Amino acid sequence: MTKQMTRQSGFGRWWRRRGRFVFSHGVLAFLALTMLAPFLWMVLASFKPLVEVEELNPFPSKWQPVNYLQVFREIPFARYYFNSLFVAGWVTFLQCLTSAMAAYAFARLRWKWRDHVFRLYLATLMIPGVVTMIPNYTLMVKLHLLDSYQGLIIPAAFTAFGTFLLRQFMLTIPRSLDEAAQMDGATHWQVFWDVILPLTRPGLITLAIFTFMGNYRSFFWPLVMIKSQHLRTLPVGMLYFDSIYGRQTNLLMAATVMNIVPLIILFVVTQKFLIKGIQLGAVKG
Amino acid sequence: MSWKTRRLRGHEGAAAMAFLLPNFLGFLVFTIGPVFFSLVASFSNWNLQRTIPFQWIGLENYAKLFHDPDFWLYFVNTGYLMLGLPVAIGGSLVLALLLNRDLRGIVAYRTLFYLPTFTSGVALLILWKALYNPDFGPVNVVINWFLDSLGVNRLVAILTGRELSAPQWLLSTRNLLGIGVEQVRIVAKQWGLGARDAIIIMGIWVAIGGNNMLLYLAGLSNIPQELLEAAQIDGAGRWATFRHVTWPQLAPTTFFIVVMSFIGGLQGGFEQARVMTGGGPAGTTTTLTYYIYTKAFEEFDIGYSCSIAWVLFIIIFVVTLINWKFGSRELNY
Amino acid sequence: MSMKGVFLGVFLCLVLLTFVAWRLRPAPAPPGKIPLTWVSDDNPARREQIALFNRLHPDYLLRLDPGNTGMEKVIVQSLAGVGPDLFDCYDGYQLSAYVRSGIAWDVTDALKKAGIDVTRDVWPAVFPNILHEGRVYGFPTNVAVNAIWFNKDIFDAAGIPYPTGTMTWQQFLPLAQKLTVRDKNGRAKRFGLLADWWNWKQFVLQWGGRMFTPDGTKCIIDSPEAIAGVQFFHDLIYRYRVMPSPVEEAAMATTGGWGSGAIHFFGGGKGAMALGGRWWLCTLRNVEGLRLGAFACPFGPKKVYRGYGRATLINAKSSRREAAVKFLLYEAGKPYNDLINHQADALAPVKKYCYTEEYLHDPAFPDEDFNAVWRDVMNYGLPDEVSPFVNGNRATRILNKQLDLVKNDQKSASAALHTAARQINEAIRDMLKQDPTLRMQYAKLTGRSGP
Repeated sequence: MTKQMTRQSGFGRWWRRRGRFVFSHGVLAFLALTMLAPFLWMVLASFKPLVEVEELNPFPSKWQPVNYLQVFREIPFARYYFNSLFVAGWVTFLQCLTSAMAAYAFARLRWKWRDHVFRLYLATLMIPGVVTMIPNYTLMVKLHLLDSYQGLIIPAAFTAFGTFLLRQFMLTIPRSLDEAAQMDGATHWQVFWDVILPLTRPGLITLAIFTFMGNYRSFFWPLVMIKSQHLRTLPVGMLYFDSIYGRQTNLLMAATVMNIVPLIILFVVTQKFLIKGIQLGAVKG
Repeated sequence: MSWKTRRLRGHEGAAAMAFLLPNFLGFLVFTIGPVFFSLVASFSNWNLQRTIPFQWIGLENYAKLFHDPDFWLYFVNTGYLMLGLPVAIGGSLVLALLLNRDLRGIVAYRTLFYLPTFTSGVALLILWKALYNPDFGPVNVVINWFLDSLGVNRLVAILTGRELSAPQWLLSTRNLLGIGVEQVRIVAKQWGLGARDAIIIMGIWVAIGGNNMLLYLAGLSNIPQELLEAAQIDGAGRWATFRHVTWPQLAPTTFFIVVMSFIGGLQGGFEQARVMTGGGPAGTTTTLTYYIYTKAFEEFDIGYSCSIAWVLFIIIFVVTLINWKFGSRELNY
Repeated sequence: MSMKGVFLGVFLCLVLLTFVAWRLRPAPAPPGKIPLTWVSDDNPARREQIALFNRLHPDYLLRLDPGNTGMEKVIVQSLAGVGPDLFDCYDGYQLSAYVRSGIAWDVTDALKKAGIDVTRDVWPAVFPNILHEGRVYGFPTNVAVNAIWFNKDIFDAAGIPYPTGTMTWQQFLPLAQKLTVRDKNGRAKRFGLLADWWNWKQFVLQWGGRMFTPDGTKCIIDSPEAIAGVQFFHDLIYRYRVMPSPVEEAAMATTGGWGSGAIHFFGGGKGAMALGGRWWLCTLRNVEGLRLGAFACPFGPKKVYRGYGRATLINAKSSRREAAVKFLLYEAGKPYNDLINHQADALAPVKKYCYTEEYLHDPAFPDEDFNAVWRDVMNYGLPDEVSPFVNGNRATRILNKQLDLVKNDQKSASAALHTAARQINEAIRDMLKQDPTLRMQYAKLTGRSGP
């Protein structure tokens, strides 16, 4: 493309570049605006007095930053926040660790039933969550893990998806690297930690982000699992502002804004790795 | 291969077991086990009410399901809500293509497009409920302005003798295919825009810049630069390059996205039904997942709800196999 | 940093957080106190009721758990061993589901020992909430019946005298029509009457319809009487246009406050009259400057009203179920009943405490001169009919769907109720097929094996 363009006249080149630039930004900015508008409405609504929430005028007549304080007064918001981060943190840690290890076994080791077991893993990606929900719930009841952190963390900590994602990524790492390390007498444990994992870092970050966000937002499982006030996570805890006794949409919006800020920061910081870390598979060469 | 690596190979079986075990145990207990458990339960009349004695009833639940008009209606609802998937996936691809370059402010764009994914949840659903308010929701305010101020309605009135009015959105059982409320058949009166379409539009808005876009961006960044350059040297235009290089190279990504979206779509609709519509109006936004929940936790018929879940699974399985057969001939997983 | 270090670091952080979480767990009940949990809604009135109990019984510590309401949650959690000690029951279907799941504890003897005879003491409208096959499973928290609230200012402005006494719906219509105000485009500025749609059950009763045959073996909601009742309720919206349609309701709704029920619209001055219970006062007292009146709900061919209420049951799986009886006795006593009447959390469950001077003229609310209305109407209150042969949630789902269609003017009352009756009878057949105990009971009542 660049070669062709240098041959064109100065004006044409300027116009083509300029035109493309304007077009791209135009389309993107329009789309971004449609994405952003409801959020602006949400942020503005979080500063409104309750009665104004549904008025068409998006701006509050009187700004009420006190809504944000009120959230903390009405529900143990900090506790919910802590629970959400805590549960999502543990799940992410366990998931990354066990998935990376399993992925190593699938991507780097040769054993008898490897491809069959991997196909089984792949097949379970298709299982709808509702199929396993009731048995898992029953299992949690039998294990006396209902209404506990463990009941939120453990069932979510082992997934086929993480193993799949990391296995695909590890396949792209040149074999010569770990073979060289093994030549030098390294054990599999050492190869895994010192050669493969550092190179899998983008994949791990991607998995960590997906897992963290997925669990931080998770609604249904905590809803059925958790009974006690002090164990509730944010998505379930915020339902308080939407109950039939006092629907407080402005506070709900304030809570949501506070809820998503850490996610946005996380995303902005990691979005580069996020894209590098996904290797779904290649076309047969 | 030196004697040392050969010695290691001998131990690979044992090492593999050690590496696999933590994940595999969890996988066995929380995925494989429950799947078979629910299969077994679907052959029983397991009910949480004590007066109903436990019994193995073979395929009776499945037979009942085929004659359950609600099941078919909710099945159609679920399928209808998935009509937005192609648009959402296509949109994600277009967005990814637009974003896959060194533009200034690219991080801001990516973050903005990802915003709906962060927020998905109660607040987002309540927000859309307000947007869809038929009388003063911004969506209809814009539509009414379009119809009245821009004179569209005057034109329509001249052409057809009738005026258009803005849709009732979440309050309406209408839909673009004209599916009836109580039976699965086409009813002219039901033609229009209603609750299901409202949920589809919202779904597209949420999904378009979400994980699918990220997957496409990843896929695009993995296309070897040589291939694109080779195409340009051959004089291929932008469309030809996309058609013959980019699109085939994205095949694994597209395949993955299609399969995962399909699975997500078939088991979707729970939160929308719970928060926005309560499954209504007249059950038109009740999806299979919501029905499974209702059967298990409101009517306590666990056996029956397991059989619905398994039918869902079988559908997904078959569709994925078909996908696999046609879509993945050149793929290498 | 090596990956090992990263993982180890994260692991240590999480362990530390686990320790923090462990330290942050809530303190157990103070020694010497018996802790009780009550799953109920977070109505502000509930807190006072709990505070009074804790004050009267210092050896107990009753706590509210508003986050686990809903029958399915209570049953599933109780079966799993983490249920509450006390929970609410809203109708006969719920009671039968609780009993059949083994969750409701039989308190017949415990109450008898304390000298309480529920059939003598409490309003009959809540019998289905506590009585199942001749056994008692709880005590009512409150009872309610709907009458017509009216906004005195709107009547004064229109120069219409306040209605008193009873009238038929036909006599009521002109009044409602006079008070409905629409602009020249037909958009309503104010409605003559506001009523939540679930009041259709009362219209069925008043037109002489029934949900089931007396033995509960067959659904007869498609009788001409029931159809006429629902049809009239529908006509209030679409023919006489004195009540808002769903679309008009949506136009009035806001996400703030109490949401979108008739109670909210009435408080906001969108209606001159509204069909509601005494418990509306819990909200309406907070509306500044609202001057209220009330009169008995108009009647149809029959002078009956739909009574409803709540009861508290004891979890049979709870280790503190014996202690929880204390709360039921509290609900039967004077302090609690007086508090309910004072809070206007509908009406006190025990009849005799509604026949007091404090009830009629609460010194704290001198303007409320309408309390006699509720008590008198309560005497005509009939509870919802329940059939043991059908799952209540399923019947409700079927009815809601059909009535939704009527409300939206998409289906005639006759067609909708015929469909509903057919589907509910199918559900009965289904239930009989599954449950041998019910099958026997059904055969004994009818001599047949299905409806």
